[in-house]
Amino acid sequence: MHTSNPDPICQETVAIEEHVLLARDTYRLRLPCPSIAAKILPGQFLMLRLPGTNDPLLGRPLALYDTYRAASGQPQGVDIVYQAIGRMTRRLAGIKVGDRLEVWGPLGNGFPPTETGHLIMVAGGIGQTPFLALARHYLGLGEYGQPPLVVPRAQRVTLCYGLRTAAFMAGVDDFRRLGVDVSISTDDGSAGHRGTVIELVPPLVDASSCACRIVTCGPEKMLHATSDMAARMGLSCQVSLERPMACGIGICFSCVKKIRDPQGEWDYRRICVEGPIFNAADVEF
Amino acid sequence: MSSPKANSIVNLVDVDLAVNLGRLRLACPVLVASGTFGYAREMAGLVDLGRLGGILPKTITQNPRPGNPPPRTYETSSGMLNSIGLDNDGIESFITHSLTYLAGLGTKIIVSIAGKSQQEFVDMAARLDGLPGVDALELNISCPNVSGGVDFGTDPAMCEAVVAGVCKACSVPVITKLTPNVTDVARIARAAEAGGCDAISLINTCLGMAINWRRQRSLLGRMMGGLSGPAIKPIALRAVFQAAQSVRIPIVGIGGIATIDDVMDFLVVGATAVQIGTANFYNPTASIQLLDALPAALRELGAASVSQVVGTLIVE
Ligand SMILES: Cc1cc2nc3c(=O)[nH]c(=O)nc-3n(C[C@H](O)[C@H](O)[C@H](O)COP(=O)(O)OP(=O)(O)OC[C@H]3O[C@@H](n4cnc5c(N)ncnc54)[C@H](O)[C@@H]3O)c2cc1C
Ligand SMILES: Cc1cc2nc3c(=O)[nH]c(=O)nc-3n(C[C@H](O)[C@H](O)[C@H](O)COP(=O)(O)O)c2cc1C
Ligand code: FES
Repeated sequence: MHTSNPDPICQETVAIEEHVLLARDTYRLRLPCPSIAAKILPGQFLMLRLPGTNDPLLGRPLALYDTYRAASGQPQGVDIVYQAIGRMTRRLAGIKVGDRLEVWGPLGNGFPPTETGHLIMVAGGIGQTPFLALARHYLGLGEYGQPPLVVPRAQRVTLCYGLRTAAFMAGVDDFRRLGVDVSISTDDGSAGHRGTVIELVPPLVDASSCACRIVTCGPEKMLHATSDMAARMGLSCQVSLERPMACGIGICFSCVKKIRDPQGEWDYRRICVEGPIFNAADVEF
Repeated sequence: MSSPKANSIVNLVDVDLAVNLGRLRLACPVLVASGTFGYAREMAGLVDLGRLGGILPKTITQNPRPGNPPPRTYETSSGMLNSIGLDNDGIESFITHSLTYLAGLGTKIIVSIAGKSQQEFVDMAARLDGLPGVDALELNISCPNVSGGVDFGTDPAMCEAVVAGVCKACSVPVITKLTPNVTDVARIARAAEAGGCDAISLINTCLGMAINWRRQRSLLGRMMGGLSGPAIKPIALRAVFQAAQSVRIPIVGIGGIATIDDVMDFLVVGATAVQIGTANFYNPTASIQLLDALPAALRELGAASVSQVVGTLIVE
């Protein structure tokens, strides 16, 4: 239970500024919402809703991909990256620049500031979205939060990016431009290593000269396997969990996951306010 | 049709928004429904809580309940199913962690309670009675997500008995919340009135299901859930109308309210106040937007107060 008032959440209707196809079924949306952009942290998310319709009725949570700034450095808005897979996102794919969307945020806890030598980000498919801003933050190339959240600088940042097939590969250049090393795996071998993304991690850890920290986002089976691997290797690991959400702000109690407390007892916790980032060791998969 | 400008001039004329639910006086008739607003703290960063007519925190039970396994919600056409299962930390935790906060919000707090037995309802009411922050109680005798318990919401005699028991055990106003999942809602409403409560609220969710036929499984963690949202508004409107025709105590309308037209519909069929539920999820400031739109809508009917439009439906 919270002990103090939560930070103000902004709810606004915004006109889409950019809508760009990045890869198969995968798009980047640019939303001008300066007040959200000024506060949002890597790992936090927004709720997005199509106005003027009851189908779909509910908003959908979408992770911060990155903020964008004016030449003066003032945050102007947020980019999000989504895959068109269902009721809301398929409609979103047809939306045009200038069309309106309802957004509210920033929501969720974001990644905790943690001493990090080598940050290894393990992403399954569209699960790569929370990591661009995180990488920028830990490489000291961008500020997030109001007042800015200070995080220790990482010596090295690697993205391990697993995909079904190369056609879904999105945003890799955005990561490389920051100086992030990118390793790819695909199920069909159409790009990078043929196999699972988890297989990319142990060689990286073995070759690393500094303390490795793992963060991971993607399908739950992958999160589970990554978390087990991190435990075996004795590495710090945080997961970004996903659950269908009706509100995103903690009032419906639908987004729950079993989370263990320090005594090892589990309770259902709301992902949208107590997460979506959790220590992997606390999650009852 | 009046122009928006004309409307804003009309707005300057005072409209009396205060209403009475029996002994409970509300500054305005827009409340937020139990289970759709958390414990209010979650909304403090978005909603000016003091402006609401009242807040109904999520239903509490005598003992902590972990709630139902996920998935707990599933979106349907213009609505959603839920099987939350009264996930809460129990009455004592509520008193320790939430009540002081709620008491300081400057609005009426109507604490929603659910018991497994009449004795549990009575014990909870007695425990809460007189505590700062408890302006009234709402008896949730209508939650479709709790199996095993006695269904006070569908049996008139049991409904009357539990309401009477609670009213005897406490001094604060009592509202009885009814389920639409009955053959004759008017009968249950009369039973609640006979039990002595100050007001009736309805509806709770409509029992429903959603399955994936390919996997031959429920899409919820439980087989059944409660349907809410715009999809159920016609059912709610009908139930409120029937209840209003059958009892003399005030009615609080709930079910799919999302626009000012929805609010006015409920008032006209006989609700003295309304609770906003699912709309809070997809438009977190819905309650305040509806409150802001209310004076102009009342004026459209030439009313100077809420009570002047309540139950004004012309029945031919
Ligand atoms: C914190 C958080 C951040 C997210 N960030 C992103 C993001 O950056 N980019 C992005 O594309 N998506 C993201 N999602 C998922 C997104 O919210 C939507 O669920 C997804 O886009 C599907 O919405 P839809 O309406 O198109 O599909 P729906 O019609 O709702 O569902 C399509 C299919 O997807 C499944 N599904 C729906 N929601 C989920 C879920 N949350 N987890 C697993 N399966 C689901 C359904 O069971 C169904 O099979 C995030 C989710 C969370 C919880
Ligand atoms: C996710 C969810 C949780 C709910 N929890 C409760 C609850 O704890 N107690 C209660 O009396 N009603 C509960 N309800 C019912 C609502 O208060 C309301 O009666 C119902 O949803 C109909 O109104 P709506 O269509 O505006 O949502 C819940 C509804 C939803 C959608
Ligand atoms: S999505 Fe509503 S509580 Fe988390």
